[in-house]
Amino acid sequence: MILKSRCFSDILDKPPKRGPMSKKTLCLNILFTVLILAAATVLAYLFFYLGKNTTSVAIIYILAVVFISRYTDGYVPGIISSFVGVICVNYIFTYPFMKFNFTIDGYPVTFVGMIIIASLISTMTSHLKLQSRIINEREKLLMEAEKETMRANLLRAISHDLRTPLTGIIGASSAYLENQENLSEKAKTACVKNIYEDSNWLLNMVENLLTITRIQTSNMAIHKTSELLEEVVAEAVQRLRKRLPDANIQIHIPEDFILIPMDATLIEQVLINLMENAYYHGNPHEPIILHVFPEDDQVCFEVLDFGKGIPEDKLPVIFDGSPSTPNASGDSRKGMGIGLTICRTIILAHKGKIYAENHEHGAKLSFCLPLREEKEHDD
Amino acid sequence: MTIKSTIIVIEDEKTIGEFIETTLKAHDYKVFTAASGQEGLSLITSGLPDLILLDLGLPDIDGIEIIKQVRSWSMLPIIVISARTQEQEKVLALDSGADDYITKPFGTPELLARIRTALRHFHRLGQSAPASPEPLYFSDGLKIDFTRRLVTLNDSEIHLTQIEYKLVSLLAQNSGRVLTYDYIIHHIWGPYADNNNNQILRVNMAHIRRKLEANPGEPHYIFTEIGVGYRMKENQQQEALN
Repeated sequence: MILKSRCFSDILDKPPKRGPMSKKTLCLNILFTVLILAAATVLAYLFFYLGKNTTSVAIIYILAVVFISRYTDGYVPGIISSFVGVICVNYIFTYPFMKFNFTIDGYPVTFVGMIIIASLISTMTSHLKLQSRIINEREKLLMEAEKETMRANLLRAISHDLRTPLTGIIGASSAYLENQENLSEKAKTACVKNIYEDSNWLLNMVENLLTITRIQTSNMAIHKTSELLEEVVAEAVQRLRKRLPDANIQIHIPEDFILIPMDATLIEQVLINLMENAYYHGNPHEPIILHVFPEDDQVCFEVLDFGKGIPEDKLPVIFDGSPSTPNASGDSRKGMGIGLTICRTIILAHKGKIYAENHEHGAKLSFCLPLREEKEHDD
Repeated sequence: MTIKSTIIVIEDEKTIGEFIETTLKAHDYKVFTAASGQEGLSLITSGLPDLILLDLGLPDIDGIEIIKQVRSWSMLPIIVISARTQEQEKVLALDSGADDYITKPFGTPELLARIRTALRHFHRLGQSAPASPEPLYFSDGLKIDFTRRLVTLNDSEIHLTQIEYKLVSLLAQNSGRVLTYDYIIHHIWGPYADNNNNQILRVNMAHIRRKLEANPGEPHYIFTEIGVGYRMKENQQQEALN
């Protein structure tokens, strides 16, 4: 809220007047104005010469004023050109020709009317232009604010997720150092084992965060290459097995030779995160199933576990990275808050879709990647 | 092993250097550690090592530069230590002459396996006859008889095309080591092949995988290192000999 109101006030505080325009825009403005006015004069002269019609002359000048105020910056060029237009009409196209005379009967009304119409149109056009620019800027600021909120959320989730394993590591190592004499061999091994597990967890977290840096934050652009489906799956499973040797993973992939445009490191990270999530939340006596299948012009990856499933109220927000509510079992650090958020970021950057749902016996997390690059999105 | 192999570790992170040193000493290697590239280079010339473990991110010299310098006068095995997500760097190191790489963080068994593989390939190269190939590759039911050009899986023959056999035997001859896409393409399709297009290689590898592996998504013999190349499972025949 605070951010939002600040954005609006920013815009309101900064009315149209901005710094002096650069020399280049000034020159361009002058050039454009002069060119349009010259063209209008030539055109008006042609009409006047051929048709002896003064009305169309005035219309041509007003049209010129509209063009000038549309394509130059600020009010000044429009107003100046309306004056120039009136002077030209009086000087060249009305009796007495090639002489100024505003006093002939009826002339004052015509010329005053013309100057008012021209100035009004010019100011209105400039005003419209200004308003559309303000709307643009406001939208940009709002987007910035949203990004800022997302970043803050992510940072909060990261600090939360980092602190838990670090506390474990510090606790276990200081217990070991301070009580070396009193601890049994078994207790010592347990301490070191805890340190090992927690640091592995930390490492995975850092790797997750590193993958995010591969996505350019400004436009979510990633470097895609054609990757063979089975190779990506195989490497992801291999890397996960290295860390969780007792994970029971069943892999079902299509027989066909399928190439998918992707950043393989990122997609591997998604697969690892989803499978790890299934490992921690599923039933340890049941396998984790990774099922990949083509569907229309995309390829879908499903990770199924046979655990308790995802609570209904968490389903819609599971990818939002909100710090997981401390659950009863107490291992909130296995909540994968960041992991799933990162999955979504990666999949969205690939223009794919990611889903979380429950099946009969547990949770199903899945994502689909498009098989063809969509060029029209690269605006 | 009667003679201790000497290993030079060039690593600027003290804790990692120490951990590697402790591990290797515990496994009967003689170890020298250098904390900078300069120190490492002088150690290499004076210490007559059998193998070099090289971290690419050194403060003074680019790791790639060290590889090139060593390669200018020696075929000494070099194993590069690198961080994940830097495929370009790995490929560059391998194509500059490094024998293998290991990704941080790594476990002790992985490190030892890489060292053993690199030392063995080096010793084989050093043997009398030019490129005396292993006569046999064997690993978990997969057997390749190089003299008879016969590939069997659990005693039933596997029919491979000419190219497929060449690929499998190239990987098997270098089992345990990663071979880059460029290296493989160069060796199979010749020096004029289009190195920028590894599609043909991957199609062939996919066919091989369907013939050798029970589940292509869970390969047992030939592993992909995406963005880098392929690695075939260690030859157990050689393990036994060691």
